[in-house]
Amino acid sequence: MTTLLVGPFNRVEGDLEIRLDVQDGAVAAAHANSPLFRGFERMMLGKGPLDALTITPRICGICSISQSAAAALALADLAGVQPAPEGAKVAALLHMIENVSDHMTHFNLFFMPDYARAGYTGADWHGTVVNRFTAGQGSALRRAVEARAELMHVVGMLGGKWPHTLAIQPGGVTRTPTARDLIRIGATLQAFRRYLEAETFGGKLEDFAGLETVEQLEGWTGGDVALFLQVAAATGTGAMGRGTGRYLSFGAYPLPDGRVFRGGTWDNGTEAPVDFTAIAEDISHAWMLGSTAHPRVGETIPDEMLREDAYSWCKAPRLGGRTFETGALARQVVVGHPLARALAAEGGVRARVIGRLLEIALTQLEMERLLRDIHPEQRFMDQVTLPANGSGVGVVEAARGALGHWITVQDGAISSYQIIAPTTWNFSPRDGGGTPGPVEAALVGAPVTEGEDTPLSVQHIVRSFDPCMVCTVH
Amino acid sequence: MSQIETFYDVMRRQGITRRSFMKYCSLTAAALGLSPSFVPKIAHAMETKPRTPVIWVHGLECTCCSESFIRAAHPLAKDVVLSMISLDYDDTLMAAAGHAAEAALEETIEKYKGNYILAVEGNPPLNEDGMFCITGGRPFVEKLRYAAKDAKAIISWGACASYGCVQAAKPNPTQATPVHKVITDKPIIKVPGCPPIAEVMTGVITYMLTFDRLPELDRQGRPAMFYSQRIHDKCYRRPHFDAGQFVEAWDDENARKGYCLYKMGCKGPTTYNACSTIRWNEGVSFPIQSGHGCIGCSEDGFWDQGSFYNRVTDLTQFGIEANADKIGMAAAGVVGAGVAAHAAISALKAAQRKTQDNKEEA
Repeated sequence: MTTLLVGPFNRVEGDLEIRLDVQDGAVAAAHANSPLFRGFERMMLGKGPLDALTITPRICGICSISQSAAAALALADLAGVQPAPEGAKVAALLHMIENVSDHMTHFNLFFMPDYARAGYTGADWHGTVVNRFTAGQGSALRRAVEARAELMHVVGMLGGKWPHTLAIQPGGVTRTPTARDLIRIGATLQAFRRYLEAETFGGKLEDFAGLETVEQLEGWTGGDVALFLQVAAATGTGAMGRGTGRYLSFGAYPLPDGRVFRGGTWDNGTEAPVDFTAIAEDISHAWMLGSTAHPRVGETIPDEMLREDAYSWCKAPRLGGRTFETGALARQVVVGHPLARALAAEGGVRARVIGRLLEIALTQLEMERLLRDIHPEQRFMDQVTLPANGSGVGVVEAARGALGHWITVQDGAISSYQIIAPTTWNFSPRDGGGTPGPVEAALVGAPVTEGEDTPLSVQHIVRSFDPCMVCTVH
Repeated sequence: MSQIETFYDVMRRQGITRRSFMKYCSLTAAALGLSPSFVPKIAHAMETKPRTPVIWVHGLECTCCSESFIRAAHPLAKDVVLSMISLDYDDTLMAAAGHAAEAALEETIEKYKGNYILAVEGNPPLNEDGMFCITGGRPFVEKLRYAAKDAKAIISWGACASYGCVQAAKPNPTQATPVHKVITDKPIIKVPGCPPIAEVMTGVITYMLTFDRLPELDRQGRPAMFYSQRIHDKCYRRPHFDAGQFVEAWDDENARKGYCLYKMGCKGPTTYNACSTIRWNEGVSFPIQSGHGCIGCSEDGFWDQGSFYNRVTDLTQFGIEANADKIGMAAAGVVGAGVAAHAAISALKAAQRKTQDNKEEA
């Protein structure tokens, strides 16, 4: 048996290192290490609760709206209020745009470039992939960056700036869009739809969103989606990295009449609501001091001795003591989209990537619908008075999955602030029972060719989760 | 050493037309505040000079600087600058991974010894020998020192590299430290902001690549062309400040009218940056335009100044605090308060003159 240390990983957000035990040409065990620790949960202590709105988004430059939305909801919960309905709609629109942007960045800039590698030279699809997806140069990358920048105009307009938008508040949003803004946003969304239909999907979004079975999916012939399907099948990578079949979603985009994508869990065919009291972070193998605890009472005390039996700064969140995978696929499986459900059992690289693409299409349709339902003459923000003592929780769905903020204030200052980010779930280390985290489990069995020190299969699998390592440990 | 391509070669190789190239040169001149007579100079420099290699490394950070950068205004500017950078080394966007990536870094440093610009995003945490940020099996601070040793100059991107940013917030758990406190023997240009504006980033880097020297810096080491004025100086809501018209509560009548956000905690009066002129996301808006005050993210220590929604109170020497209150009250009273309002406005004018003098002295 040989041990490989894979890292630093590029084209993932933040730093990541994975230790692999390789036996008989395949990964026998994997250990995921998040080597970056900043201590946001410690900095929040003693600060005024509103500081969360500015500080927590800065955990991450690509999912900052997710953090901002979670913090705002946690504060609203603390105050026992709901944001103004129109404000909630604008916040949802901002959040949808960020999530869609993240999905398309992942597909074009982070994930597909792996297939342009020299290791695949000679395959009949390789030339096309090289032209479209070579890192930093491919034609698809350029168009994606351009289209994304244009889409982000909406966040600029409604949020003032991106990344690190300040507009989302517990009572709603600071910006009241005018009728003119809404028309401009509509035009931007239409332009984005044209980009998606021409480049990514090569077909109508409604048609892709309407796929129901794996056979129908495999019959899709348009755009980069078809190219991915072809490559995933030809290389066998699509079937790699199978998960456990357990999916978790907190529910995305809270609107006055419920969440656009409802939350819940899916355990190999069994649906259930999320039991928030059953969440606990295990620190048996994290460089943290303390004990397994619910985030309401959890602490973040780094173990500066870097004790031997730990290997990551990442805690291991568990729901009812078990690991759950979270992300676009999980979200759509929980919602009950027929194609996502059909892919749930497959649960590998292809399923995750298609989950994201499916969600791009679905979210674009939701954004168009939501925009038509915003009424500029209504209130967008209500005054909120925070109590000096109390606690609150804000849960949202970031692009990469379930994100929660748990806050407690005493005498007007934060006395506890705990965050569980999506990649904390997916890239968690082993727990006290020795159960590996989702990515660690998914890597077992990945083929390693003789002489490979950074196995391609491992890179495909790791990137299929779209890790955001800066959020993971925060 | 092999012949290094010129900027123009790089652009042509990227399929950029001559026409677009000239357009890029004019835009660059405009962004840098240079007169049109500089356009041929920029073009000439780019056609003849070998491109300056850039190495871009990431420490303790959130990647918001890169995110801002790849969204720069002119797609060509971003394309060109990005292609020049990704030719060399960048953690987030490059193709290679693992050992290959580390080897690429070494190779780039060796090849362009003493001639490359090191762009740093994020900062090194120094606590516990730097173990809070390990890349490639060693603390980031070591990688930073190693890459800095042979650099011609260093760009500190964003508030993290320049000042520490939120991760240095009390109690600064990891002892996150700005770059200039670790590297003391190289010219460092600070481009603060969380993140900095994309156009400011491309402007700075293009200036350095084109003219092969640092832009003029202010006393804090920031490029004067982008950081010499306060947000407040060029804020489109400034007339409302001067008129004493303030937002008093979120989404109130005054907010809808676009009144000044000073009372909502706006830090525009003490923040030096180009947000109110260049704006964000390709010039569509900036935080004040979205109805939220400036938080002063390009100023040192912005993260530990008390609540972001408290009024700027350390301005009392300019009299602004007292006057904004008085004027607000007077404006609310309106009829019959003419005399009081007049007095307050006069006081404000005096205060402004004082501010002006103060700045000139500085």
